[in-house]
Order: sequence, then C-alpha cells, then structure tokens
Amino acid sequence: MKHYLDLIKISARQHRKQNRMTRLCIALAVFLVTVIFGMADMEMRSQYIQAVKTDGSWHAAFAMEDEQGALLRERPEVEEIARYETLNYHLRDGYQLNGVETGICGFDREFQEMLPDAQITEGAFPENVREIALNENAMAQLEVQIGDTVDMTTPQGERRQYRITGVAKNTALTAELDAFCVFLSTDGFLALHSEETGAAQEGLYFVRFRRFCNIQKTIDEIETQFGLGPEQVRQNVKVLMMMLQTRDSYLLSFYLVAGMLAVLVVIAGILMITASMNSSIARRTEFFGMLRCLGATRKQVVRFVRKEALGWCKEAIPAGVAAGTVVIWALCWMLRFLSPGLFDGLPVLGISYLGIGVGIVVGFITVLLAARSPAKRAASVSPLTAVSGNAGTVKAAKRAAHTRLFKVDMALGVHHASGSKKNFLLVTGSFAFSIILFLAFSTAIDFMHHAVTPLRPSAPDIAVNIREGGLNQIPSGLAGELEEYEGVKRVFGRGYAFLTLPADDRQVVAISYDELNLMMAKDLLIEGRLKEVIDGKGVLSVFLEENTFDVGSSVLVSAGGKEQEIRVSGVVECVSDVLDYTTNTIICSEELFQEITGEKGYTVLDIQLEKDVTDGQVQGIRRAIEQECGDDIAFSDKRMKNQETKGAYYSMAIFLYGFLGVIALIAFFNIINCIAMSVSARMREYGAMRAIGMTVRQLIRMVFGETLTYTVFGVGLGCLAGIPLNWFMFRTIVTNKWGEAWTVPVWEMLVIVLVMAASVCMAVLGPARQIKGMTVVDTISRE
Amino acid sequence: MEILKVENLSKVYGTGEARVEALKQVSFSMERGEFGAVVGVSGSGKSTLLNCIGGLDEADKGKVFLSGRDLFAMGENERTIFRRQNIGFIFQSFHLIPELDVEQNIIFPLLLDYKKPEQERVDEILEVLGLENRRRHLPAQLSGGQQQRVAIGRALITHPALVLADEPTGNLDSQSSQDVMDLLCKASRHYQQTVLMITHNMNLTASADRVFRVTDGELKELGGENE
Repeated sequence: MKHYLDLIKISARQHRKQNRMTRLCIALAVFLVTVIFGMADMEMRSQYIQAVKTDGSWHAAFAMEDEQGALLRERPEVEEIARYETLNYHLRDGYQLNGVETGICGFDREFQEMLPDAQITEGAFPENVREIALNENAMAQLEVQIGDTVDMTTPQGERRQYRITGVAKNTALTAELDAFCVFLSTDGFLALHSEETGAAQEGLYFVRFRRFCNIQKTIDEIETQFGLGPEQVRQNVKVLMMMLQTRDSYLLSFYLVAGMLAVLVVIAGILMITASMNSSIARRTEFFGMLRCLGATRKQVVRFVRKEALGWCKEAIPAGVAAGTVVIWALCWMLRFLSPGLFDGLPVLGISYLGIGVGIVVGFITVLLAARSPAKRAASVSPLTAVSGNAGTVKAAKRAAHTRLFKVDMALGVHHASGSKKNFLLVTGSFAFSIILFLAFSTAIDFMHHAVTPLRPSAPDIAVNIREGGLNQIPSGLAGELEEYEGVKRVFGRGYAFLTLPADDRQVVAISYDELNLMMAKDLLIEGRLKEVIDGKGVLSVFLEENTFDVGSSVLVSAGGKEQEIRVSGVVECVSDVLDYTTNTIICSEELFQEITGEKGYTVLDIQLEKDVTDGQVQGIRRAIEQECGDDIAFSDKRMKNQETKGAYYSMAIFLYGFLGVIALIAFFNIINCIAMSVSARMREYGAMRAIGMTVRQLIRMVFGETLTYTVFGVGLGCLAGIPLNWFMFRTIVTNKWGEAWTVPVWEMLVIVLVMAASVCMAVLGPARQIKGMTVVDTISRE
Repeated sequence: MEILKVENLSKVYGTGEARVEALKQVSFSMERGEFGAVVGVSGSGKSTLLNCIGGLDEADKGKVFLSGRDLFAMGENERTIFRRQNIGFIFQSFHLIPELDVEQNIIFPLLLDYKKPEQERVDEILEVLGLENRRRHLPAQLSGGQQQRVAIGRALITHPALVLADEPTGNLDSQSSQDVMDLLCKASRHYQQTVLMITHNMNLTASADRVFRVTDGELKELGGENE
C-alpha cells in the first residue's frame, strides 16, 4: 500500500458482498435506462425504416411551376429533388393495357432514391418518351419481356406503343388490387398527359432535405417564397415524425407523452441508485468517520469517495450498458426474424448511442452524487461520533417502533422501513416509480391496439372473387382442389346471400363459414356459444351498435320465397367480411347456409399460403382458378400488405411489451436488491437480536414486515400517481384520436401488483438464507 | 441449588498451523445467586467460554447444563427460545435495539415471546436502574452508562436463571462502571440470580463470590473475594 487511496481496494475486498450489491444496483439502473432509451431509439429506427419502405424517404412535396421547381432545386437545404406525377390513380379513367385499367406514374430518375416502390429493379429506367417500365404483375399477366412492346389505350381511344425497358416490384397496393402499373420518365409522362388532355401539367416536386435542417421552418420559407397555399404542400408525416420534425398537434402530444416517459425512466434510475446506496450509509459513515479520526482531511475523504464511486461505475456502468445492448440486440433480432424483408435495414448488432449515452450519464452522475452523502455526513459530525457508530446505526432511529400496534418482530420490520424518512421515501419512491412507469407505458399498448390491427389467424394471403359474376359462382369443390396445390396451406370459401326479414322487410346478409373458419372466429366471440353454429343449429350475429340480434332469440328470415326460423347462438365482433356495417349480418355453417339459401357455391375464396411459396406457385394457383372460373376474376394478392401489417404490429408489440417486461423485471430486481442491501446493512443489529433471543423465524418475519411496508406504500404511492398519469396519457394519445373513454387500468394494476408480490416473496428468500446461515458470535463481534 | 454445570467444554478454532485451542476441557458449576467473575488476558478464551455457556456458540466437546437442561442437546430454535427465557446477556457494546425506547428495550425478550409484560415489574426494574424518567428515550438519547443500565434491565426482565456479562464496563467511565457493578451485585444478592461476568479489570472481581482465570483455554478457580 503506497497511497491512502489504495485503501479503496482493500476496503472493497473486505466489503465484497455489500459492494457487489451496490454495483448490481447501479448496473440495474443503467440497464433500465439503456434498454428503455435504446429500445425507443431502435423502435424509432424500425418505424423510420418501415415508413421509408412504404411511404418513401422524401420529406415534402410541392405543387409548383417548372421555373419554381428549378429555383427550389437551388436552395441549400435541398439534398434531393425529383418530379413525380400520376394518372389513373383510381383505375377508372380508361388508361388500359390489354384491356386492364393501368395506373401511370411518371418521374425523374432521382425519384427512385426517394421511393423504394418506384425502383426499377430489373432492366433500365425508361429514358425515351416511348419507353416504359412495368410492374411485375403486368409483366406476368401480359406475358411480356424486357425489350418487347406493349400497346396502351387511352381514354381518347388512342393506341400508344411503348418499348419495355425495365420492371418494378409490385407494391402492397398494386398486389392487393391486382393492378397494372406503368412507369414513364417525366418527359414521357408529360408527352402523354399533354397529348391526352391538351393541358399543361403543374409539377409535383418531391424533396428530401439535408440532415440537421429545420424542415418545418424551411417548408414555411418555401411556401412564402413561392406563394404556395396549404393545398400545394404535402408532408411525409410518418417519416417526419420519426425525425422529430413535425408540427402535427397530435404527434406533438405524442412527443409530450414520450418525453414524460423518458423523464420518468431517468428518475426511476436515479431513485434506484440513490435508494440502494442510502441503505448502506451507516456502515460507510462509520468508515469515513474512522478515516477522519485517523487524520484524513475532508478533502481527502471526498477524494476517497469519488475514487471509490468511480471504481463502482467502472464495472457497473459497462455491465448495465452491455446487458441493455444485448437485450436490444435480442429484440432487433426478434423483429427481423418475425418480419423478414421489412426490417432488413435494422442492424442485428445495432448500437443505440442514445441509450448508451443516457445510461452512462444517469449512472455516472447519480453514483457520484449519491456516494457523497455518507462522506458529507461523516464530515459534518465529529470523527469520534462517526467512528463510534453513533452517527450511523443508532442515530437512524428518531422515534420508537409501535410495539403496541404490531407484534415486536413486525413492528421492528415496519420501523426499519419507515424509521428513516429519507430512506423510506427513496425506497418506496423507487418501488412506486416502477408502478408509475408500468401504468404510464401501458397506455402505449392501448394506443397500439387502436393504431395497428394485428393480422387475424384467418386473414387470407390471396382473396379471389368473380368480378362481374353474381353471388356464389365459385364451385365449392375448387377450395378442396386448391388445397392440394404446392404452397397452399388452407383455403376458406365463403358464400354470401341477401335474406329479408318478413317482419319489417329489412335486409340481412348471410355469410357461410366452413368449420375451420368458424373455429377461428372463436376469439371474436363476444357472447354465446360456437358449438351450435358449427353443428348447424344456430347462427352468429355480427355486432351492430343498434339492432344486434340477441343471443338465444329466433329470427324469421326469407330467401327465395322460402321462410325459415333461425336461432342466434352467439354474437361476434365486426369481421372483415362484412359488406357494410349498418346491415345485419349473420354467419352460419355451410350446411345451414345451403339449407336456407339453396346455394352451394362460394362468392369469395380466401387462400392462405405457406411461408416459402414462390411467385411461380402463386401464378399456378391463379391459372387454376382462371381455368375453373374464367379470366374475369379479382385476384387480390395481400401478401405484402399482410407483411406490412404484421411488421407494424410486431415492431410496436415487441418494443412496447419489451418496455413493460423490462419495467416489471426492474421492479422485481429493485425490490430484491433494496431489501438485500437493507438486510446486509443491519446484519450486526440482527446478530444482537439473535443473541438476545430472537428466533430465525422472527427475524425473517421482521424482514418480511420491512419489505411489505415498502411495497404497500410503494404500490399505494405508485397507483396514486400512476392512475392520473395513465388517465392523462390515455386521453392524450387514445381518447383524443379514437374517442375511447378511459377506464381504470385494473388489469395493468393487477399485473404489476402481482409482480411486486412475487418480488416481495423472492426478496425475503435471500435474506432468510443469509439470516439462517448467520453466526451470532461472529456477527455481533464484527467491525 | 446448582444452576449452571459445565462439563469438559472444549473448543478449537482453525486447522493446521492456525489451530488454536480456545477452550480445553473446562468444567465448573455455579449455584443459584452466585456471582462469578472470569478474568484472563485478551485472546485467552474467556469470551468463547461465555458464548458457549450462553448457547451463542457451539462447543466441539463437552456439555453445558442450565437448570438441568443440556443446552447443546436442543435444536437451534428451541435453544434460542430457552436462551431468551433463561439467560440474560449484557454486552460490552450494549447492543440495544436503536428503534426501541428504554422501556421497549427492557421488555424486548418478553415481547419476543408475545407476552404482555407486568407493568409493576417493569416499573420496579426502571426504578432499580434509575431510568424512570428515561423510559420513553431512545438509546441514541442516552449516555453510555445509561445504555448499559438498559441492557442490564433487559437481561433481568425475564428473571433468568443465569446472567452473562461480557466486559459490561468496558466502554464506561469509572462512575458508570461502579453503577453497573452495583446493579449486577444487586441482581445476584437481591434477586438471587446467578451472574457470570467477564472482565479485564481485577478490581471489579472484588464484588464476586468466585473468580476464575482463563489461561490459554484452561480455567482455574482463584477463589472468592475473601481469598
């Protein structure tokens, strides 16, 4: 030992266990902060990636003259600018390829960088006015190759011949609508437009601004500079939101909620560290008192404290950051695994500098500040008092325990928890914060349920119906035939029929479900029983705010002049198959449907595909259907849309449930660690109690009393503050948007209280083992 | 009437070169109301002896009988309860419960039995200890001498058969030391309780009926105050 500060290492060896717990607590707090901020960062990145994939990376679009566009291009904030136009967006204006309505897009080559959906993935970008690129769907349906020519008919009846130079991938929308889409250069588009309409087209300029540019301010300036009205400016809201560059009032309130959550997380981290360090304050005050007694100046003690705290930080902060980063990696990996393709841009081993930075700052500053407290206390009393222990353990009690209210063991436990006001507030505060965080974050789950609809198990990858045919024209045997095809998982067929209610002449829509489809409707069941419906003895009524058929009631329906009484066996939530939400809809088994309507065929075929199905196999399925039903089928390929829906849901669900899981985990470890620290700091006192005659069971009951006191007050305080916060956040992000009224979050409270209760039991286990293994003589003669 | 009987008590710490025989075949007994003092240099084994007699520590060999009951034949829980009902401890560093006031500290062993203390007995002890006006004070509000008096009161409240005092005056000034010694004598003479006290200070053995010396783990009786 060459320097007095070398004592830190020696002291650390002596108090290895206590120091380990301190380090663990710092690591936990840093972990919490790193994970939450890191996950938020990753969620923003994943949402950004998703938004760029679906909506493009452009920031704003301006409808303006070409001269204005040229001036706009010169602005220093503009990184990329490209012109983009569309024709026949709604597929009803008469621009057709081979008789099929075709959407037309014309844009500058640079626009491909801003909208992935517009990228020519094969061949070349059409440069010439008579060159064209087609989407995959059109290429497959027209059975053409790059270099071939196609004829486009226009609303004027003109035939325009184009040479195919490239292919663009299908988008979710074009695949779902089974639509053809052609891509032209801006010049090609303008030529077509002027020849067709004879009018000059005002340009729509899409702009991506440079990094660190204040986008809203720039948009304002551009509006003023070119005298543009609000209708001439479009913003890519999702992307701007992810860049924190929006002025949308709803999104701003979202930022407010996110900001509040961030502050709560930081406070929770600070409280955890301060509370754990405060429980060992007596031991450390004695130690610093001894140093003062031996002649250390206050400055030297402060230096000692700082170096000791830095030592803890040296190990605990990297551990917390590393653990947090690993959790983030796991979540990112899960996201990529669940939604391959959509989140490929998300790094597997991504580093969240935001999470790491905030974790380090919170850990470091809190530890340095909290560690000063015992040194300050030791310095404020005389060295002799401090070293005798009177500044620590004995002085801690300011009032006597209530031995009349509780049995002595419980009374002492309660007093250990509540004896020191500061410690009580810190520990219950840190417990309460877990609940507040949980209740606050749980509103995000409600938000998710409204904002993102998860894919139902029965959601089809491909939906088929006959465009111009009547109802139930698809032969029912086709479903079974298709199920034999490679790549097909299952096929649901549904028949539709319009029935009338003789009582008031109202119309009722009847839909037939096969048995599996009915089973899948189980999670939609609000009331009643499914079995009767499967057995063909009853029907399901789709919920309507008014006029829902009551369960158990019988309804007289008429179809084709034949009247029949049907029994309502259950009510289900709105299903996607409903034609309109004002007409009564009933769902029944195929047998009952046939009995009521006499119809055997299907109106809609829903096909679910295997994960690894190829586009060639899908084309084969399509051909098989066309062979059976003719060419005029609507073949809606929903795979991309489903993937986007799934991706959006998984991305949010993984991060939000991840947040809640981390908060619950932190609450769990925080309680365990706080109690372990408290017990460890009082072991000498426990030894004396054992010497006087306290049994191990009584000591454990005392620890239980202490834990319970912290938890009861923590839960009370947490609910007291958490419920209003839950209300506020729910109102801000759910009620204001969707109008759903707030209700007391009973389930959320129950979950977190159960987590706390489990933590209490676990928290007592460790100290109980420690107390059981305690040697009375060694404990009371220690120190 | 024999209250305490110690038979061939042996205790060894460590192994190999670090092996220390703290107690070597120690045997002695004490009658009801006797006041014994154990002296010896630091590390001689006197605290180990006291801890073994009090059931705080287990001996490697030998037996301790208190009121005819073999202490080491009992299970841990039974011994703890037996200890709090039959043995009063007084420690050098008091070991009061900081969260309990004077009266609560004194009645603490009774509270551990979930018994309601007799108020007369509590008042009597407080009076004997001279702490009537301090009954609601917390340990932190008392002087060292007063804290040790509270510890004595706690040791006496259950009418224990045996009071064990480990350097009870070690942390006190001379006046407080004398007060403590007077109280221990009173416990022995007035309440007929057997007291065994460890001390460094030979002057304090003057009040004892019997004096033992522990040297390297061996116990030898020196005789009473008259010798």
